[in-house]
Amino acid sequence: MPKPSFDRRQFLVGGGAALGAAMVGPGVARAQGRRGEIIAGLSERMLTLDPANHYSISATSVLRHVYDPLLDVTNDDKFVPALAETWRPVNNTTWRFTLRKGVSFHDGSPFTADSVVFTLKRVRDNGKLIKSFVYQDIEDVQKDGDYAVTVTTKRPFGSLPAHLTMLGMLPPSVAGGEEAFFQKPVGTGPFRFVSWIHGDRVELAANPKYWKPGIPKVEKVTVRFIPELSTRAAALRAGEIHVIDRVWPDMVQTLKGTPGVKVLDTPALEAQRWHFQLARETVKDPRVRKAISLAIDRNVIIKDLLLGYARPVVNPVPPGLIGHSNLGQKPYDPEKARQLLKQAGQSNLAIDFVLMKDLYPKQLEIAQAVAAMLGEVGIKVNIRNLEIATAREQRTAGNYDLFFSGWAHMPHDPDWYFGQWFTKAGAEKMTRFADPKVEQLIAEGRVPDAKVRQQKYEEIERILWEDEPEIWPYYSVAIYAISDKLRNFEARRDYYVLLHEVSIA
Amino acid sequence: MRSFLLRRLGQSATTLVGVSLLVFVILRVIPGDPAKMLLPEGAPQSAIDALNRELGLREPMWVQYGIFLRSVTRGDFGQSFQYRAPALRVVVERVPATIQLALAAMLLTVVFGVSIGVLAAVRRGTGYDYAGTVLAVLGQSLPNFWLGIMLILLFGVTLRWLPTSGFQGWRYLVLPSVTLAAFPTALVARLTRSSLLEILGQEYIRTGRAKGLGERSVILRHALRNAAIPLLTVIGLQIGTLLGGAVITESIFAWPGMGKLVVDAIFFRDFPVVQTVLILSATIFVVINLVIDLLYTVLDPRIRYG
Repeated sequence: MPKPSFDRRQFLVGGGAALGAAMVGPGVARAQGRRGEIIAGLSERMLTLDPANHYSISATSVLRHVYDPLLDVTNDDKFVPALAETWRPVNNTTWRFTLRKGVSFHDGSPFTADSVVFTLKRVRDNGKLIKSFVYQDIEDVQKDGDYAVTVTTKRPFGSLPAHLTMLGMLPPSVAGGEEAFFQKPVGTGPFRFVSWIHGDRVELAANPKYWKPGIPKVEKVTVRFIPELSTRAAALRAGEIHVIDRVWPDMVQTLKGTPGVKVLDTPALEAQRWHFQLARETVKDPRVRKAISLAIDRNVIIKDLLLGYARPVVNPVPPGLIGHSNLGQKPYDPEKARQLLKQAGQSNLAIDFVLMKDLYPKQLEIAQAVAAMLGEVGIKVNIRNLEIATAREQRTAGNYDLFFSGWAHMPHDPDWYFGQWFTKAGAEKMTRFADPKVEQLIAEGRVPDAKVRQQKYEEIERILWEDEPEIWPYYSVAIYAISDKLRNFEARRDYYVLLHEVSIA
Repeated sequence: MRSFLLRRLGQSATTLVGVSLLVFVILRVIPGDPAKMLLPEGAPQSAIDALNRELGLREPMWVQYGIFLRSVTRGDFGQSFQYRAPALRVVVERVPATIQLALAAMLLTVVFGVSIGVLAAVRRGTGYDYAGTVLAVLGQSLPNFWLGIMLILLFGVTLRWLPTSGFQGWRYLVLPSVTLAAFPTALVARLTRSSLLEILGQEYIRTGRAKGLGERSVILRHALRNAAIPLLTVIGLQIGTLLGGAVITESIFAWPGMGKLVVDAIFFRDFPVVQTVLILSATIFVVINLVIDLLYTVLDPRIRYG
């Protein structure tokens, strides 16, 4: 019997070609150079496939691949077209969107104005959906032909486009069969949903008919949920996965020292904000709050505890967002703090500093450092590190003086932050903040006109900066680590891990 | 025997109703508000109140418990607040991963625990005995999270023999089950050693040796069998614990089992999931205890239930 007549070299070439063809799949994909698989390791477990039913950062990351919103927001906070090609305010309470044509859902059904009407009315009307409360101001959603939609609102809703960056569009066929639909959902996004093993992984496959040419760059994306940072980092270092989020400062050196691993960081859209309980006798007096602020050496926290992975605060709202302006850093002046306390007649002040256990990097060490700093000016700090649900109950009950918390501006707009924390209705079960002037400015700042908003927000910020109802110790920094095989990965300021424009070598 | 079984089944049912009531009440009296945990920090109080109403949490507690009991008898454990899916389905999805890990860890425990214990007892005072003691002390004193991370760094990152984490096949099972088995293996090894030593001093062992039985037969057929009763009790309890989920090991290895599920559910006040898991694990415990009690009669013919 004659031997097979190809040598090892030919065999390898042939096998490689066959393998390559199997990996890239249909000819279209090869033409667009789409190949390979990216595996991401996210810190937070995803709980739902319903884009209207979460405010989770990991779910936003995963579901952005499956569903498209009307608008996207870039890493430098520009709102850009996704399923809406244009959007403009008709007046203060009316927005008009024109929609992209020729887009279809993964099941082949077309994307039209009906999808937008359905998605918006669903989130407004179904009170069980987590995002429902944000959309309560919507009065009506009307289609104007198949590719235009008019949204009227009960009061000005200037931040509507920003919120819509987080709301994936659903096909109207969801109605009536929601449970079945979300078992295997379809969207218009760059990837099709394949499978989800709860608590373990989500698998997505490229949508070859995606409306954006050349996107996505890979055939497959797998997102694994690995809550432990040490394990996440180990999986990346072992080459099992290609990107991890939520790296803590003290893990950076280890990761940087690993061949094939790169660490990326960017100032996050998150300001740490420790709020005062303004109804409490202890911190009701603005002089006391000012003294506490003066006694905290923010640079020590940033440099020594966060190893430089944080930025000094110059405004309650982080740079990049509408309304931001540079108000200068808060000074560190313990001597002046002592004087202010004396003036306020507070010689034996003791405050409760409540933490939500294990929520923020290094929070306990930071709180202990703050306790020592305040001790220097004669304030005794009682740190209460409570389980999250308990801490939030304590806050509602008003049992704290200072509460350790942060605010990530997920929709890239500060309206939510102001409306929640500095209006009477928002703050009554939280910080008990009440200032009619600020409240009025917030209402005036809800209009769509960007110039008006900028001006109103700057005014609000000046009042807050002076009054100090919160301590703003630092802006957080988002740290990611990736395999050096990834190309075009962007370290997002909103903590999202987005992979549709990322390729792998 | 039959009356014993009936009595035990009756006791078990009472235990389970008691557990359900206890879990139900405790969840509702501890501080923490499910809607507040589901909604983001920036949700107004009106939204929190509305969602709590939607979730049925504004009814009086006894009404809620009545509804719960009625649905449970129909096999409906309610909707998970977090997953918005039937709680039973959410929990049952985690059962295969939980059972795999528990069985693998149990297998390691029995094989290594008993072997080390027997070796240490038979070669008492030798290097084997000391090595066994050192291993047992380490196994009982090394915290799971430390051991798990060290195993990941050694076998996953440095040597790259095994995957660091995840749930896709037997290779993924090795490190978590070794981590999980460390403590019970040490426990079983020490227990085996001490009970075997006690039994080896008994007269019937001397009789066995005197009538010319081989050492192997004396140890394995006579001594070990008699040492098995306390072992069985401990192993039974360990199986129950492992099936209830191994929180730390599951967290470290990103293992999608019930332990991590229930801890997250407790943190987020997902009452239906917590209730389902606890009632299921209580059931497992009760059943295993019953089986172990019955196994005693097989191992030791002197034990009789009437």
